[in-house]
Amino acid sequence: MSDVYSYSWLILVAPFIAFLVNSLWLGKKNWKAAAGLSTFAMAGSAVYSIKIAFDFFTQLPAQKHIIAWQYNWLEFNDTLTAKIGCLLDPISVMMLVVITVIATMVNIYSIGYMKDDPSAGRFFGTLSLFCFSMLGLVVATNLIQIYVFWELVGVSSYLLIGFWYTKPSAVAASKKAFIVTRFADAFFLLGIIITGYVLKTFDFIDINSLQAADSMNHIVSVGFLTVNVLTVSTILIFIGGWGKSAMFPLHIWLPDAMEGPTPVSSIIHSATMVVAGIFLTARLFTIFSFSFVTLDIIAAVGCFTALFAAVIACTQSDIKRILAFSTLSQLGYMMFSLGVTHDISGDEGINILGFQASMFHVFTHAFFKCMLFLMAGAVIHAVHTNDIWKMGGLRKKMPFTYWSTLAACLAIGGIPPLSGFWSKDEILLASFLSGHNIIGSIGLIVGGLTAFYMFRLFFVTFHGELKESGQHAHEDKWMTTPIVLLAIPTIGIGWIAKSYFLGSFTPLGHIAQIESPHHLTWLPIVASIMGVSGLIIAWVLYGKGNYKTATALSEKFGKSYTVIKNKFYIDEIYLHITHKIIFDKVAAPIKWFDSNIVDGFMNFVGWVLHLFGKLVRFSQNGQIQLYIGTMFLGFFLIYFIYKVAA
Amino acid sequence: MNFLYPDMLILILAIGVLAVDLILPQDEESNAPFLMSWLGLASIAVILITQTPPPGDYMVGFGTYTINGISTIMKLLFTLACLFSILLSKSYFTAGGNLRGKMNRHSEFMALMIFCTFGMYTVASAGDMISLFVGIELSTIPLYILSSFYKDDRSSTEAAIKYIVMGSVSTAIGLFGFSFIYGAVGYVGFEDITNFVVNNPRDPFIWIGFILILSSLGFKLGLAPFHMWAPDVYQGAPTPVTTFLSVGSKSVAVTALMLLIYGPLSAIHQETNTLLIVLACLSMVIGNLGAMRQKELRRFMAYSSIAQAGYILVGFLGKGEFAQSSIIFYLFVFMFTNVCTFFIFSIIGQKRTESFSSLRGLSKEKPMLAALLMMCMFSLAGIPPFAGFTGKFILFASAAKEGYYWMVLVGALNSTVSLYYYLLIIKEAYINKPDENQPPLHLNTLQKINLSILGTGVVLIGLIPIFYNRVSELVNLS
Repeated sequence: MSDVYSYSWLILVAPFIAFLVNSLWLGKKNWKAAAGLSTFAMAGSAVYSIKIAFDFFTQLPAQKHIIAWQYNWLEFNDTLTAKIGCLLDPISVMMLVVITVIATMVNIYSIGYMKDDPSAGRFFGTLSLFCFSMLGLVVATNLIQIYVFWELVGVSSYLLIGFWYTKPSAVAASKKAFIVTRFADAFFLLGIIITGYVLKTFDFIDINSLQAADSMNHIVSVGFLTVNVLTVSTILIFIGGWGKSAMFPLHIWLPDAMEGPTPVSSIIHSATMVVAGIFLTARLFTIFSFSFVTLDIIAAVGCFTALFAAVIACTQSDIKRILAFSTLSQLGYMMFSLGVTHDISGDEGINILGFQASMFHVFTHAFFKCMLFLMAGAVIHAVHTNDIWKMGGLRKKMPFTYWSTLAACLAIGGIPPLSGFWSKDEILLASFLSGHNIIGSIGLIVGGLTAFYMFRLFFVTFHGELKESGQHAHEDKWMTTPIVLLAIPTIGIGWIAKSYFLGSFTPLGHIAQIESPHHLTWLPIVASIMGVSGLIIAWVLYGKGNYKTATALSEKFGKSYTVIKNKFYIDEIYLHITHKIIFDKVAAPIKWFDSNIVDGFMNFVGWVLHLFGKLVRFSQNGQIQLYIGTMFLGFFLIYFIYKVAA
Repeated sequence: MNFLYPDMLILILAIGVLAVDLILPQDEESNAPFLMSWLGLASIAVILITQTPPPGDYMVGFGTYTINGISTIMKLLFTLACLFSILLSKSYFTAGGNLRGKMNRHSEFMALMIFCTFGMYTVASAGDMISLFVGIELSTIPLYILSSFYKDDRSSTEAAIKYIVMGSVSTAIGLFGFSFIYGAVGYVGFEDITNFVVNNPRDPFIWIGFILILSSLGFKLGLAPFHMWAPDVYQGAPTPVTTFLSVGSKSVAVTALMLLIYGPLSAIHQETNTLLIVLACLSMVIGNLGAMRQKELRRFMAYSSIAQAGYILVGFLGKGEFAQSSIIFYLFVFMFTNVCTFFIFSIIGQKRTESFSSLRGLSKEKPMLAALLMMCMFSLAGIPPFAGFTGKFILFASAAKEGYYWMVLVGALNSTVSLYYYLLIIKEAYINKPDENQPPLHLNTLQKINLSILGTGVVLIGLIPIFYNRVSELVNLS
């Protein structure tokens, strides 16, 4: 194996060292040096990742996967061992490039964004920890490793969302994110345990195989339920991804997570962490594909989230929340694309086009969504508000940002020939080819909605008259550079990368797949029309700086508009369930039981122990006669026991 | 022959340290004995670390003195215990080094410590009952003298008197036991006893002898109900001596017990377990209960050590090499943690009384020292990732391998109870408000270096497998 692969641990070690040094020592002394260290560590990892990607895709190994290095970490017994290693296959190499490049950009951007913050050093330390965890997650060779790094990602995102811990809303948001994802992870862990128990292995390469599916594919009865082990365990594992990727109804943490610093939103809540759920599903795709039930659930959940979030995004006024809901909607695309691989058009089977399209969308989305968040941060930094209605006319003040954002909005809106068009088109193609016509149609509609809400944001923010808050807006060079740099992949990466994704991206392990034409002539045209019409509607309503028509329209919808604007009251429903039902009806009695019965018992035990302790101390009276007497007593005690035992 | 170098060198070193005092002018401030002692001990430790004896036993003097893997590793433990205790004692011989006063005649002190270590060597290498008994005595008698080294301090003298009286009784009991075994077998060599026990596992004289020896070793090991001396002596003796008592003397008793149980008495090991279980449970319970409300740090450590002795005894329930290496590994862990703790207490004791209240606000005053103390307490309580956890885990695993799961449960429950009082110390250091009237603490370079070595040990021994692997490699050699 070439050295390039075997030294790939350097990619992980660099950010980890940056984390250790910055958090333990450098961060407090000199935040600029800390920022420099983090940025250089990330840039180094990025260069190495690109080198690996180049080598990997130019000389694609026959198996399409390589274990670059691996060692045993916990040996439970002879057959069951948890390993730490590095699995390189098309999707992990792609994720390595995405994470490191984006993280480098975000690091550079943060130098400008965090320059006035007193605890900037801590920020860079935690950011490096996050990058380390995310990188460890994507190269994981087995379920245990992915779970460990999965939780590390959770912890570091908790720390980053709650970075401004003096702000109550940030603390609440970080708790919410952590609890919701942890809730989902409990199911994930259960899935891991069942899989490990049945298969006696955690390795992805062993799990993603026909044999594994066969040995799991049987029915067991649990109490009064009869379930298929394969279906149950894949669904359980998928629930982990469900929470992390913020699919409905576990999406509630993502919009709130926008309380964190904007660079954090940019890296965590757009390009990397939320993609972890998609990644997990893709990583275990082969075993998932043996359970059509699971695939259908994935498709349904993804499709619903895509539509649901897009509708909400059309009504929001906080710039970061719009982007958050847009992220949810795009994640929905990626998710249902994995689900529609279940071909129902003819013979039931698997068509991996959806898998490829999903990964392609992960790739393109990362760049433009990251850039959109960076843009949002730059704008917020310039005008000191999150409310788009208080912005406006920033076109003149922030020209570089303006043009880059235009590119990103066109890309996410699916307007050809920008990057988003290509990947979204493949997703829709996969849906229609596999016979999921309803999902495909919803995808088309969501495409139109996407173009609408993105250009709504764009026009309101940059066009129209300059508001008071924008008078002193200017562009910071540290913040503008990454935005402009990210515009390059936003524009061009789509048609360059397409052939790679459709050519060499296959899931780990072997899938018997059915062939189908890779073409539908009408689809790109319809998709483009949807995108352009969304754009035009946005222009008509918001482009002129005169929102009369828009206001009239929203008043006309009245009640339903309010419902959507309040995000369908999902948060309130959760609050009601947790406070009124769980806290009052379940938690309160348990608390009573705990503080009276359990604590009472414990206090009693403590009281008894102290009583005996007093006895021991009392017997230690300093009299040597007693001491020697006890010794002889001890001897007779042992002798007595010997006699009894013998 | 060169495997005997450490044993010879340590004897020469002890005599040398005494000689230096005679030759050099009578100068109490002279550093020569101290330098000579610790440099000598350190070089002996280096020899022991680098030495790997050949497989099997290397006998000297018709089998009375044996060198093997276990004896080598145990000698290293004794040497390190002595070395750190001597390094710890340095400040006790300088004016203002301790609140209880300044000790004199440091060359005598150090020579006695080294003689005592030689006695421990003899135990580790004993090939028959005579050298075993002589070794035990040689390692105990100097400790009687050392306990009384604060000649003007009443509590020190009282401790020494109690120790010598009870020690003599215990020696008498032990010797009585040896004589029973000799009476039954007719020989003193371990090999002859082994053969006899294999053929007559139910011989009453062997059993009476063993029970008597166990009682005697229980005294040295600080096992309940033979523990009564420990709190008084630990409290009365000077802290360096207490340190040496708690790690060195205890390890000697463990070594002797290991020699007997895994040597001549291995044929009746299964039956002896019943007795060991009773002693282990009693020690854990009494040690933990006694430690609960103590206010004096050394007395507290005495009870803690009694409980620790109980945990060590749980390891004896296991069989073969695995059990032996788990016990020896735990002794190392215990040595590093306990010596580190006493080092911290000695620093506290420079200006203050060695009591709980003196620890108040330590985290504000000396954050590193407080952090180190916390590490030590967590290690003693067996909390990962510190060495105490790994040590206890392997120790209990050795019992669990033989099916003594409920003993593991008892051990784990007792660890939970022990966490209570270890946390009390951490609470004093971290939560309670500092006392403004306390004189400030000061660390010199020697103490800083020692604390960092010991602290590194407390963290790394459990984490890096080479330490345990080395122990188990040496145990498998013999």
